Amino acid sequence: MLHIDHLSKTFDTIKAVDDISFEVAEGEIFGFLGPNGAGKTTTISMIAGLLKPDSGKIRIGSLDLDGDLKKIKRLMGVVPQEMAFYEELTAKENLLFWGKLQGVRKKKLEERVQYYLEKTGLLGRENEALKKYSGGMKRRINLIIGLIHEPKLLLLDEPTAGIDIQTKLNIYEIIKEASSKGTTILYTTHNLQEAEELCHRIAILDLGKILAMGTLNELVQIVGEKDIVIVSGKFSIDQARTIISSFQQATVLSIEEGKIVFSLEASKNISTVLEEFFKKGITIDDVSIKQPNLESVFLKLTGKELRE
Amino acid sequence: MRNLFYLVRKDFKRKWKNPVVILGFLFIPIVFTVIFGMVFGSGGEGTLPQVKIFAADNDQSLISGLLLGALTQGELNELIELEAIEEDEGRKLLDRGKASALLIIPENFGQNIWDGQSTEILLIKNPAEQFLPQIAEEILDTMTLVLSSLRHLFADELDTVRELADLEEFPDEAISALSLQFKDRIDGASKYLFPPVISLKQITLSEEKKDVEDLSVQAHILPAMAVMFLLFICNAVFEDILSEKESGTLMRLRISPVNLTEYIWSKIVISTLIGILCTSLLIILGRVLFSIHWGDPAAVALLVLCLNILIAGFIAFLFSFVRTERQAGALLTTVILLMSMLGGSMIPVENYPPVILIFSKLTLNYWGITAFKKIMRGESLATILPILSVMVVAGVMLSIMGSYFLNKNLKKGISQ
Ligand SMILES: Nc1ncnc2c1ncn2[C@@H]1O[C@H](COP(=O)(O)OP(=O)(O)OP(=O)(O)O)[C@@H](O)[C@H]1O
Ligand SMILES: [Mg+2]
Repeated sequence: MLHIDHLSKTFDTIKAVDDISFEVAEGEIFGFLGPNGAGKTTTISMIAGLLKPDSGKIRIGSLDLDGDLKKIKRLMGVVPQEMAFYEELTAKENLLFWGKLQGVRKKKLEERVQYYLEKTGLLGRENEALKKYSGGMKRRINLIIGLIHEPKLLLLDEPTAGIDIQTKLNIYEIIKEASSKGTTILYTTHNLQEAEELCHRIAILDLGKILAMGTLNELVQIVGEKDIVIVSGKFSIDQARTIISSFQQATVLSIEEGKIVFSLEASKNISTVLEEFFKKGITIDDVSIKQPNLESVFLKLTGKELRE
Repeated sequence: MRNLFYLVRKDFKRKWKNPVVILGFLFIPIVFTVIFGMVFGSGGEGTLPQVKIFAADNDQSLISGLLLGALTQGELNELIELEAIEEDEGRKLLDRGKASALLIIPENFGQNIWDGQSTEILLIKNPAEQFLPQIAEEILDTMTLVLSSLRHLFADELDTVRELADLEEFPDEAISALSLQFKDRIDGASKYLFPPVISLKQITLSEEKKDVEDLSVQAHILPAMAVMFLLFICNAVFEDILSEKESGTLMRLRISPVNLTEYIWSKIVISTLIGILCTSLLIILGRVLFSIHWGDPAAVALLVLCLNILIAGFIAFLFSFVRTERQAGALLTTVILLMSMLGGSMIPVENYPPVILIFSKLTLNYWGITAFKKIMRGESLATILPILSVMVVAGVMLSIMGSYFLNKNLKKGISQ
């Protein structure tokens, strides 16, 4: 459904998106996982036709973004990272307005507004101005606006940023339902659990490049049976590198003053590694071991921990 | 076209629900009109302000005494504060703006009248004031007519009065009573036309002679203020573009099937509509609160439409130069204030020297105010039609240019 082919975009000197390619099948939820500044929003903006790519091709179904933007707009729904609606207007007025712009017929539109308001638990408050809504309620409206015309392709830019778990679950439910009805979804997040729970396939993005792509299982294969160990304490970069390099089964993933991340074949060996630190008189503040999961994959690929 | 309708309706609802800014801008001209009305005069048909007139009586005869006495009789007493003064002193004080006018009665004024010769009273008006000298002039106009008539009508009676003149001193009461009597009789007689014996020569200290002022103070102020605040209201509507850019709704609109041109025209249309509503409201308030006679309703309606088309186009054009709210604040506020200053929204253009008047005529305010006044003065629709056509043509052209440049500007800005 969505075909991205060698897409690149540079702002001044920053390569925001650097030669990425991927495909998303119909009805699939494709996770775009990356830290701040990875290029997620830039990619979505290009697919939505807001930004012109420097190079590369975007196709949606059989339509080419360059030539058929008008047709594509009707097929596409976008949920931006910001709350993009009119705060002075009520939830219902907003939904009706955005639905009409998308060309949904009045009767059908009213049915859908009713349906989604009920689904998100906002029924009964639909005639309140959105500025009176809580952050979580606004997020739900922000999502529904993108869905109101039942798009074939839905682009979601961090739709669950800054909300409680209940609202998140509600939003997941709505997204899963849309996907089960055949909507293709590109889901942008920097939350690992979210990607694990929701997405059929995931691309890990950092500094504008896709580092790995696949199902959760496929991605976990990347780290293999190895555990990821994070040690922090009072040591210099050189000290830590020398210690870890002396072990055959360990590979350094990232290193900075006072903190080192490395993979280790069998975590029971950790005590021997730590002993080396103690022998050198280094104080260790914290040690954590990650079993193979998306987080350890992410750590291995980017050397970064991903935290909200 | 359908999208344009949805966009305009949406903005209308938003403004309807959150009208504070617009109402604020509507409130100011009304408040100004009230304040200025109180300073310079009050509601059209109500009581008039007191006019201070210096009177230099170089004649000191019975007749000159009568004339001055008559000026402070009855209702006139409430209208005129007369202060006797030496001519030189009076001229000096008038220069310093201490009175609205200086009335100079020449030597031998009384004698000339007795002899049936024509004579002249001099009225020097304070140029700094717009309205009060006008009142003095109108009163004196009537007075001179009255006196002239008197000379013709009551030639015989005057002889008896003449006896009084032979007395060494005139008792004040006697004069007051007499002049009152004269005034009453003359009120009835003034409809007869006689060639004037006394002519009123009036001088305004600046060389330019004003044409007859027939509009109330409020009728001057409200339209002038209205044009300026309509510009501010329109500006407030257009500032939405920047806040929509900020909030992400503009981006969302760009993703939807709406195109930027439709979006920009929706702002031009909504600000024209809101402008029309606000002008209408001000016109109604002006009628109700200040008894302003706006003139031919059809002409006024047409002017309101054309003026708001021009204002919307003008603001759209200016907005195509700004990217941020700060730039908008700086550019738009400066232009609006400057134009209002030059165009007569703050100071009546009648007070400007010809050099500045050239620039006044380049402002939207000038033509808006001029058209309002023309209609108030009863000029026919045909005479203001040229102004109205220029307004529409300029408004549409500015809108088209504004839309073109804004389109470019927003396309660049949106990707950030
Ligand atoms: N309009 C722009 N002008 C200049 N640089 C930009 C612009 N938009 C994005 N960038 C840069 O491009 C890079 C990618 O930004 P992008 O917004 O796509 O990241 P993101 O993955 O969405 O991050 P976040 O999780 O913070 O939303 C960043 O380094 C950013 O500074
Ligand atoms: Mg982003």
